[in-house]
Amino acid sequence: MNGIALSVSRGIARATGAALGPYQTAVIRIGFAATWLLFLLRELPHRDELYGPGGPWSHDLAEQMVGDNGAFTALLWSDGRAWFEIVYALAVLSSLLLLLGWRTRTVSVLFMVGVLSLQNRSVFMGDGGDNVLHLMSIYLVLTRCGQVWSLDARRARRADAARARGERVVDRVGPVLWCVFGFLLLTVTLAGGMDGDWLVPVLLWAVWAALGLWWAVGRLAEGSQPRILLDVVTNIVHNGALVVIMAEACLIYATAGWYKIQGSRWQDGTAVYYPLHLDYFSPWPALSDALAASGTMVMLITYGTVAVQVAFPFTLFNRRVKNVLLAVMMIEHAVIAVTLGLPFFSLAMIAADVVFLPTSFLRRAGGWVARGRARLPGRLSAGAPGSGRDGGDRGGGTAAVPGPRTEPGAGPGDGKDSGEDSGRDGEDAGKRGGDAGERGEGSEETHVGFRA
Amino acid sequence: MDAYDKGSDARQGLGRDGREGPPGPDDAAEQTGGSDGTEEASAPGETGETGKTGETVEVPEAREVPVAPSGPRTGFAALSPRYQVGAVAALVAVAVAVCAHIGLVFLHVAPSNTLTKEHGSAVDEWVFPEFEQNWKLFAPNPLQQNVAVQVRAEVGTADGGIRTTGWYDLSAEDGRAIDGNPLPSHTVQNELRRAWDFFVSSHDSEDRPVGLRGSLSETYLRRIALLRLDRNGAAGPGGVVERVQYRSRTTNVEPPPWSGEKVSDRPTYRELPWWSVTPERNDGNRDDGNRKDGARKDAGEGGAA
Repeated sequence: MNGIALSVSRGIARATGAALGPYQTAVIRIGFAATWLLFLLRELPHRDELYGPGGPWSHDLAEQMVGDNGAFTALLWSDGRAWFEIVYALAVLSSLLLLLGWRTRTVSVLFMVGVLSLQNRSVFMGDGGDNVLHLMSIYLVLTRCGQVWSLDARRARRADAARARGERVVDRVGPVLWCVFGFLLLTVTLAGGMDGDWLVPVLLWAVWAALGLWWAVGRLAEGSQPRILLDVVTNIVHNGALVVIMAEACLIYATAGWYKIQGSRWQDGTAVYYPLHLDYFSPWPALSDALAASGTMVMLITYGTVAVQVAFPFTLFNRRVKNVLLAVMMIEHAVIAVTLGLPFFSLAMIAADVVFLPTSFLRRAGGWVARGRARLPGRLSAGAPGSGRDGGDRGGGTAAVPGPRTEPGAGPGDGKDSGEDSGRDGEDAGKRGGDAGERGEGSEETHVGFRA
Repeated sequence: MDAYDKGSDARQGLGRDGREGPPGPDDAAEQTGGSDGTEEASAPGETGETGKTGETVEVPEAREVPVAPSGPRTGFAALSPRYQVGAVAALVAVAVAVCAHIGLVFLHVAPSNTLTKEHGSAVDEWVFPEFEQNWKLFAPNPLQQNVAVQVRAEVGTADGGIRTTGWYDLSAEDGRAIDGNPLPSHTVQNELRRAWDFFVSSHDSEDRPVGLRGSLSETYLRRIALLRLDRNGAAGPGGVVERVQYRSRTTNVEPPPWSGEKVSDRPTYRELPWWSVTPERNDGNRDDGNRKDGARKDAGEGGAA
């Protein structure tokens, strides 16, 4: 009995103490945001045909469809061209900001609204990649995906540095964003723009209320009980969403795999040959022919694909096997991107796979990126996502990245790190200084540390 | 997540040994970050690029120093019993919600079974519209046919006559746009293909629409036809497209040479009735929808040619 009680309490501590997988959630945030951003930019010339008032799936058709299924889309609030352009531009902007991790929680909501608005407006334009993004944009809203590798993390560091110097840190951007967010929500709700399915409106209002609560509680003393409780609840929600994201990825592979097993072409080992010879999925016919030239190769790839997809969820119990399979699946998706002409689908799938990568690898990869950046002389003055003016600053921008390669003991700090960080999402609008960055100079950041 | 985090600790050493790059700056960085107490001293000593790298590295390390003392002040253990009740309640609620969501989504993607026969409506209620998903890409079997969607039009010419155009192979146009394109647009890869699938799935074998979706898909195809015919300049100078007709040409993909299988290489056609269209695409939709039954009767059984 004691053992059970002990493991229960350990489980509770684990699930409540920190927002787990800070690097994993950060990297899927970046991955999905980048996928959607690149897609929107690629389709810029075709945006009207896909989602606009001039497309074949007309406003009227979309209205009938949405009236039937209740899906959420802001695009149907008006059939004007200006509104469409605004929504498209906001979708682009929100994916860029989410990628950078600016006010992550608020922006993740905007990102979700952008994804759902465009995709639900024209349901028959999408494919599997759009479907993945659709789901993940909803799940991401519930995570603290800006704990590392984000402007939020940098802002939090600078705020800490400023506080350490005894300066008062006042965040003006957060409350303003929150008020604008609330005003828009209220307007839209009263105007009947959310009369469809209840899920998305409830989610939007819940996040808005939670952001307000964070701000209010943030004014209390550091160690006050309501503040800790809110932090704990936010961690719990994050960890739950992370489980859902992982389960979703497993369901994707399991479904794809188990249904394939039942197909005669997957059984006789020729299945992979066929998509390579479909006109819609063979941008490089010569390449397709070359890949499909050997019967043995086709058979091995066919069987291998099914085996990997079916096996993947079970390999999560063995770290080493899981990592090997993960690498295999990412390579396969990269190949699919080219051979079947499905780059955005593949990118979305790879972004989903990334959630299973080990922290040590992600941190090392982050280190490579940071070092690569530091070695690009031209970028030192130009590439800052924010307003960094000096080299040290720049380092600060990516600071969370390379921490890992510094010392072996860094691992355990990881969890604590995130717990500490978690109070600093974009969401705790009030207490952190958006303007702290103005003052936080690079050299000071080495002193960051104690929060008074 | 447990596994990863623990693993990362365990592997940190490995990772360091295995990584590439010049040892100089990195080692400096490592030392800087490695011993918490010394970073302030060593950071200013570094210069140029190394300095930057060093700084990059230190910040999070530096942050960990204070984290430890503040550790006990966060998390479940830091809560008073009264607040712990709240935290446990939240934990239970989230755990239930997570299990329910995963379970319902699982039932949604699973084949029809005992549970979905009984609770299918509850599953649909939750999953639609926002959690809908279909991962049966190329399963159970990959598509083994090339479906080419073609369209032709009856054009009212400037001199008052009627002219019937030849068939435009829209899928072939899509195929040409995809060929050699590393980033095919959804407009060529999905638009027509999925519109046709939508039509087929929302019509019975006699081409009669099934429910709302059936009529939506017809209007959609009409509008795609007008868009594509317009791009092809099908109406010609002064002409107006008055009616359009679709057909699909389905060809089996030739089985791989090593399989020894034989399939017919003769294409099969499915020809839809003529549909009247109104020239003003944006205003004409509703009228179209109402008039389509008449148009369908005119054309009679299109059937497969």
